[in-house]
Amino acid sequence: MLRFALGRLAATVVLLLAVSFVVFALLHLAPGDPARNLLGPRPSSPEALAAIRAQYHLDDPFISQYLRWLGGVVRGDLGQSIRSDEPVTTLLADRVTLTLQLASFAFAITVLAAVPLGIAAASRAGSVIDRGVSVAAIVGVGAPTYAVGLLLLYVFGVNLDVFPVYGAGEGGLDRWWHLVLPAVTLASGLGALVFKLTRTAVLGELDQDYVAFARSRGLSTRQVRALVLRNAMVPVVTSLGLVFGFLFGGTILVEVTFALQGIGSLLAGSVTFKDIPVVQAITLLTAAVIALTALAVDLFSFAADPRVRKRATT
Amino acid sequence: MKRPPLTPILCAVPLTVVVVCAIGAHWLAPDATEQDVLLGVVPAGTSGHLFGTDQLGRDILQLSIAGARSAVVGPVCIALGSMLIGVVLGTFAGYFGGWADLALTKYADLLLALPTTLIALVVAGLVDGGYWVTVLVLVVLFSPTDIRLVRGAVMTQAARPYIESARVLGLGRLRIMFRHILPNVLPVALATMLLNVAFALVAMSALSFLGLGVGPGEPDWGRQLSDGRDLLGRNAAAVIVPGVLIIVTAAAINLLGDWLQERSVERAGRR
Amino acid sequence: MSQLLRVTDLRVNGPAGTIVSQMDLDVGAGETVALVGESGSGKSMTAKAVTGLLPRGVVAAGTLGLGDTTVELAGGPAALTGLRGRRISLLLQNPFTSLSPVHRCGRQIAAALPVELRRSDAEVARRLEEVDLPARVARQYPFELSGGMRQRVALAASLASDPEVLIGDEPTTALDVTTQREVLDLLARIQRERGMALLLITHDLGVARERADRILVMYAGRLVESGAGDAILTSPRHPYTAGLRDSDPPLDRRVDRLSAVPGSVPRPWEVVAGCAFAPRCAFADDRCRHEAPPLESPSVGSPSVGANPTVPDHPTLVACWRPLDPATAVTVVVAAAARDQQAPMPLLSITGLTKRFSSDAPPALDDVSITVGAGESVGIVGESGSGKTTLARCLVGLERADAGTIDWTSSLPTARRAQIVFQDPTSALNPSMTIGAALSEALRAGGQHEARSVADLLALVGLPLSYTRRRPASLSGGEQQRVAIARALAPAPQLLICDEAVSSLDVSVQAQILNLLADLLDELGLALLFITHDLAVVRQVARRVYVMRDGRVVESGETEALLTAPSHAYTRALFASVPGRRGDQGATAGGADDRSS
Repeated sequence: MLRFALGRLAATVVLLLAVSFVVFALLHLAPGDPARNLLGPRPSSPEALAAIRAQYHLDDPFISQYLRWLGGVVRGDLGQSIRSDEPVTTLLADRVTLTLQLASFAFAITVLAAVPLGIAAASRAGSVIDRGVSVAAIVGVGAPTYAVGLLLLYVFGVNLDVFPVYGAGEGGLDRWWHLVLPAVTLASGLGALVFKLTRTAVLGELDQDYVAFARSRGLSTRQVRALVLRNAMVPVVTSLGLVFGFLFGGTILVEVTFALQGIGSLLAGSVTFKDIPVVQAITLLTAAVIALTALAVDLFSFAADPRVRKRATT
Repeated sequence: MKRPPLTPILCAVPLTVVVVCAIGAHWLAPDATEQDVLLGVVPAGTSGHLFGTDQLGRDILQLSIAGARSAVVGPVCIALGSMLIGVVLGTFAGYFGGWADLALTKYADLLLALPTTLIALVVAGLVDGGYWVTVLVLVVLFSPTDIRLVRGAVMTQAARPYIESARVLGLGRLRIMFRHILPNVLPVALATMLLNVAFALVAMSALSFLGLGVGPGEPDWGRQLSDGRDLLGRNAAAVIVPGVLIIVTAAAINLLGDWLQERSVERAGRR
Repeated sequence: MSQLLRVTDLRVNGPAGTIVSQMDLDVGAGETVALVGESGSGKSMTAKAVTGLLPRGVVAAGTLGLGDTTVELAGGPAALTGLRGRRISLLLQNPFTSLSPVHRCGRQIAAALPVELRRSDAEVARRLEEVDLPARVARQYPFELSGGMRQRVALAASLASDPEVLIGDEPTTALDVTTQREVLDLLARIQRERGMALLLITHDLGVARERADRILVMYAGRLVESGAGDAILTSPRHPYTAGLRDSDPPLDRRVDRLSAVPGSVPRPWEVVAGCAFAPRCAFADDRCRHEAPPLESPSVGSPSVGANPTVPDHPTLVACWRPLDPATAVTVVVAAAARDQQAPMPLLSITGLTKRFSSDAPPALDDVSITVGAGESVGIVGESGSGKTTLARCLVGLERADAGTIDWTSSLPTARRAQIVFQDPTSALNPSMTIGAALSEALRAGGQHEARSVADLLALVGLPLSYTRRRPASLSGGEQQRVAIARALAPAPQLLICDEAVSSLDVSVQAQILNLLADLLDELGLALLFITHDLAVVRQVARRVYVMRDGRVVESGETEALLTAPSHAYTRALFASVPGRRGDQGATAGGADDRSS
């Protein structure tokens, strides 16, 4: 177990290093003079440019710039925001809670709704309910988050006036109340995806010989279901891990749609403003979260699937 | 027993409408970008403006018809371009293996480590190049999945006895690739391409919703949504019309692609 | 005698139409009945109908009686709730997929035990012991076991609820021949000890002959003949049964020509009217083609039923308007005159061939040396993992050997030296290419497009010219394999390699292909390297044979001499494991003695 975990951890670190390299390169890939970009809207006097060059060591070789930057990242120093002139870490710290709340709320809705629905649809494959939900899921997978969000906003926020339209509320229960529509919006696309993957996984297991064999031995419906779910668990959890990536793509759009001051809207704003340090930090942070999720999923399947254990140890 | 397939017919109707709009935008909606700032926002149902107007007094109906063009052209190019890359690189990687395969797989892994929306937003935003640069960025971002798909399909085919027989007959590698493997990979690739059009449509309009891609003032559904966000109380049609259009178009393409994919999988299973 | 399991008027219908119709079957306590048929005969569907495991969209009707319980099958799986698993259990074909991969074997066995015993390790150990497995297997996962062990675990699991009837759906087909014998012996022992009724579903006449008291023969969804095992195979009354028996190559001698049944098995729903076998039957007349015959006691020939005095309860029944006369039906198979071949000119010699796929696995080929003469037919026999396929792949250049040499006496281009035909006909041809395109491509590849035409090739393998424009999916398995052979012959190779090329075909089709190969050898003077697990088949095909095991050649020699008196222990074990082929004329096999007690 430990060897497998360490191996996977090492692979994750390598992946993150590769991502960090690309992320750092962003600064230099963006058109124009990096110093100019870092200066932002401030007057670009030669002195100011020189100061920026010195501050960011822009005249050093690329690799040493990267290493210096990486060193900072590891120590928790993500640089200064160009737009607000604050440390990026402060900026993120102010906003991360809201995004986490939104993401976990949406993820909870996804898991609680889509997984049971997927299981139910697979065990009634071909029925009217299955077809109905499946078509809805195909529509849901393709429907753009912001369009769904705006439509929900119109129906429940403006027309019916059930939910608040904008903002994140006062904290506590009010916060969660404000997050209902955004989370539902975010969960609609994700849920559709998770539903499809769950349904496929369970359906695949139901087709297996061992299910027919279990039935032929007179195992009760409950026993057979337990057998199937235990087997389908690994692919379903894997797909939940996959969805995590989409979750972070989706938060950007949802936060912008519902005017929530989270990491996603910060990123959208920073991109338009070319606030490169902030963009770098958020990209790296997202990559880290996704990579760690993948790591967790791998460890889970190691624990849950004896075949994976066998392959990993031989 | 044989029913006429309902799904493709149902999907074809909205798709035809959208394609006709995209092609005939000039004739169908000649005044799409005509501003009437004095008029400002009028609600749906105002005479002369079936769906009302937006802040700039542009007619929502005409704007939406004209928006079909940017909604269709870019995504189709993205899907085509990315599948072209997928087929060329995926076939090489799948059939020849070796270091090229390893490099391509690692490249795909790296790009898949981040959500597409995020990379597209960051790259398109920082490069700041408008519609076609965004298309190009998305081609690059979409290609890893296609490379993987084609690579997998090619590897499945390459292990089959009929390919081995072709090798034993001494047929050239190119001949085996193009005459034997590709025709059997193409059905799956085509279905995936269709699904990619839907994903690209959503991604493109997401970017224009965030203010990237199409320039300001251009007719585009995503931009209409972001412009109309503040109009919900005054003329909800400004949001509802393009919103529904995006959802319906994406859903129709997805349903069609799903149907095609299922069929090609079934056919492959029967072989 | 009231039988334990009684199925009356079973009908199974699928989305395409009828799959099984008018099926009656019964099995007594302690009795073994074999349900024999080729693919598409409906034998598996019968088992699934009886156990309520029909796939979606397939429905059954008819009556199932078990002891004093009677159930209408039309009531769906729910009607069988009390019976399935408790009193009737099913053992499936593939031990690799029939157990849940993520549950330990012990738990899977325990799941069907009576509730009070489910937590008892001792009971699980006892159940494992019954199938000759050590108690430690309970803690292992299925993937850690060999195929034979997995099938034993599956057997223990299907016996956990102590059923009165066990249905085995090809329970040993996926296993190697030596393992197959062990599992069949085990099944017979357990059946005897428990006094269970056993319904054995198989395509293998040898298994049926050796293990069953009675045999039921199915064709295209109907029962065509039933009766005592020996009687049915000694003097079959239905032309199909006779054809099936005669196309099964005998193990004990070489025959000049197998009597093959022309054509292939139709889908049950494609049979419009009359006897389903009529299109392939040499004796069919107008009535056969228009009126389906009922299953009844044969009226033609001597009614004394002298052929089966042992089981008077079960006289032979046959569904045929023109049943064979038992007096004349015994086909006399003439042993082939030993073809006098002088030692041929050498064509190919392989020396010390060694191949290892990974450093920690045993080598797939370990110092293998063989020779093939020009125009000679050479067999390679071995079980899975013997390296026989790796050898073939090295010969045609699909694998590269680590060491050793392959010497050809000719200097022809590679494609003209050897061509290969694989096992699975369905994937042998490019699904998107027409037969004509595939063949003409092969002709050009071998530079033969001026010497020969596609029409020549099709004629060579006995297919009509109209097939040029067809695609593989519209051909039957046997026809696909013919096309694959034609393609392999296109470059006019000196050596044709057949890697289990007839193993996945139905027996009646297998005989056609074997005859075709024999003709081709005579006609074209080409050499044949025939790779198979089947000793009976290799006897018919090869003049010389190599026996392989674990990557090594353990024995070799003239086929006749070697198979008449095998000297290596492994060859003897292989030979002894072949089911039911101790003699064609009803000699009782080892298993039969067990049952008489």
